[in-house]
Amino acid sequence: MRRSFAAYPFTSLAHAAKLPPVLDGVERTRHPVAIVGAGPVGYCVALGLASHGVRSVLIEADDSVCSGSRAICISRRSLEIIARLGALEGYLKIGLPWTGGRSFYRDAEVLRFTMPQDENQRLPPMLNLAQYHIEQILLERAQQLAEMIDLRWQTQVTAVEPRSDAARLTLSTPRYNYQLDADWVVGADGGRSTVRESLGLALHGTRHEGRYVIVDILLDSRRPAERLAYFDPPCNRGSTVLVHKQPQNVWRIDYQLRDGEDADAAVKPENVIPRVASLLEMMGERGDWSPIWISLYKANALTLDRYRHGRVMLAGDAAHLVPIFGVRGANSGIEDADNLSWKLAFVVKGLASERLLDSYSDERVAAARENLRYSAKSTEFMAPPSFAFTLMRKAVLSLAVKHAGLRSLINPRQTAAIPYSESPLNCALEHPGEFFAGPAAGAVLPECPLMIAGGEARAEPRAGHVTELLGQRFTCFFFCDEVRLPAALASLERTMGAHGIPFGVVSLVRHRMPGRAPLHGWDHTGRLFPMYGAAANTLYLIRPDGHVLGRWRRVAAAEAAAAIERVMTCPKAQGTADECRRSR
Amino acid sequence: MNAGDLDSLYTQLCRTMAELGEPNACVFLARFALLAIDHMDDAATVSRLIGAAAEDIADQTLSG
Repeated sequence: MRRSFAAYPFTSLAHAAKLPPVLDGVERTRHPVAIVGAGPVGYCVALGLASHGVRSVLIEADDSVCSGSRAICISRRSLEIIARLGALEGYLKIGLPWTGGRSFYRDAEVLRFTMPQDENQRLPPMLNLAQYHIEQILLERAQQLAEMIDLRWQTQVTAVEPRSDAARLTLSTPRYNYQLDADWVVGADGGRSTVRESLGLALHGTRHEGRYVIVDILLDSRRPAERLAYFDPPCNRGSTVLVHKQPQNVWRIDYQLRDGEDADAAVKPENVIPRVASLLEMMGERGDWSPIWISLYKANALTLDRYRHGRVMLAGDAAHLVPIFGVRGANSGIEDADNLSWKLAFVVKGLASERLLDSYSDERVAAARENLRYSAKSTEFMAPPSFAFTLMRKAVLSLAVKHAGLRSLINPRQTAAIPYSESPLNCALEHPGEFFAGPAAGAVLPECPLMIAGGEARAEPRAGHVTELLGQRFTCFFFCDEVRLPAALASLERTMGAHGIPFGVVSLVRHRMPGRAPLHGWDHTGRLFPMYGAAANTLYLIRPDGHVLGRWRRVAAAEAAAAIERVMTCPKAQGTADECRRSR
Repeated sequence: MNAGDLDSLYTQLCRTMAELGEPNACVFLARFALLAIDHMDDAATVSRLIGAAAEDIADQTLSG
């Protein structure tokens, strides 16, 4: 079967290498932060730093955004982060939102799942768009902040030399090689990270045996975006096939190779095209189609033990490799970037002790292990690692048609934000029974609609959501019946301002406030207070990355101040529990 | 038992069977079935489940 290849419906611009003035082979300017790798993670770190007023140099080996078959699913949590970085609009414009999927065993539907989605949500649980779009949108945002983000295309890092108070990068470009000194380095250079290799670090974990062929095709189809999984389908007996729709008529098809199949032969077009053709026929897709890209995938579940090594931090695939099933790869990398960027910014600005960066490692290593645990279940189901998993999967699939109780075993367990429940930063102690609902310390905020009112513009209240009230700062949500702040909170706001710590109090009220008022949220549906277990005078303190730092049932300005102080100083012997207890 | 418990038990069963090896898989599952029957202590339910497990099994080859 002959079928000619099509190109991705995306043209990337080639960017020239930018070469700095060099003295004795070393760039004259020393940089506060160098980020290696302009992928989704590198961009998010750079944009996060810029939002805190910290400049960075972003180093990329290629001359353009990526091409080929890479990440395609962006989670709601990633979209929340991207919204704070000012790039949400492009994603919503291009991406295809979806909320669930279906799984089939042979001819029968055995699972229909939906991801958490209700009328409280501002963003879809998942958005499909190709990684070149993911990067292009972030690049355009970075270009708007060109004075903060110094992009160096066609610049390859060949060595990283850590020093006690800096790191020196050796860089190769088409014109000349040079070295660059940075106070801090972030290695976001992907699964084959040069930064990681230069430091002599190795990933540990499981390399799974199952192999998948990944094919992107161009196909005109009106079928809605959802995750489709076919186990042992009539078109490809004994295999497992996944289908995802991307924007612009691009479709991602993943199918598992049978045991003993030769991988080199399996990715040849003459072997791939008939399998795709029979899949499309089975799905009832009659439209013309063309292959775009074929690659082979083997699931790895690996992580470093620590993501901070002196002046160098690792993030994204450079720090951990998570199997594709459950779409935790790019999404966990974006969460890494969000966790790291505010902490690094605070350290660079002299607001926080550099020990704060150890909490980046603590929190994100724990999150990676949790992600690996979830994805192990998905991977063992999608690519059974032994006869036992194969046998049990057959039993589950064949019984699930009639026995609903077993269907959850087929659910792909899509990515969700991992709470930092054990973080040393948390002010975790609550009186027993103090809260019956709402996010505890370490969790991210559940979404809730509200009216956003007041502020300088004095516009009419507009419909919005609670996560829109977060910014790149510590945010205190003060649940109350009137927007005037208690003296202690107003004083806290002034103190934080005087110390240059990004901080703001936002009042959340149950009733519409008459007249002129500062920016506040009005719980017009009556759902917000109960969702957060809040009454008048309840206080939530939220970190710049949207995770809860602590919460109190009464105005607790001194406790909030102590919690922020602890973040900034990160005392070696963490006194979280004692300090929180003392402060009550 | 929630979905997470079911996941963990499924994985435990698979891993245990894998460690015992394929030649022991049948006897392992048979022993597990007997223990479950003994524990359930409900003749009607056990009889119904034996029927459900056997239903359509002729369609299930072990290859995939």
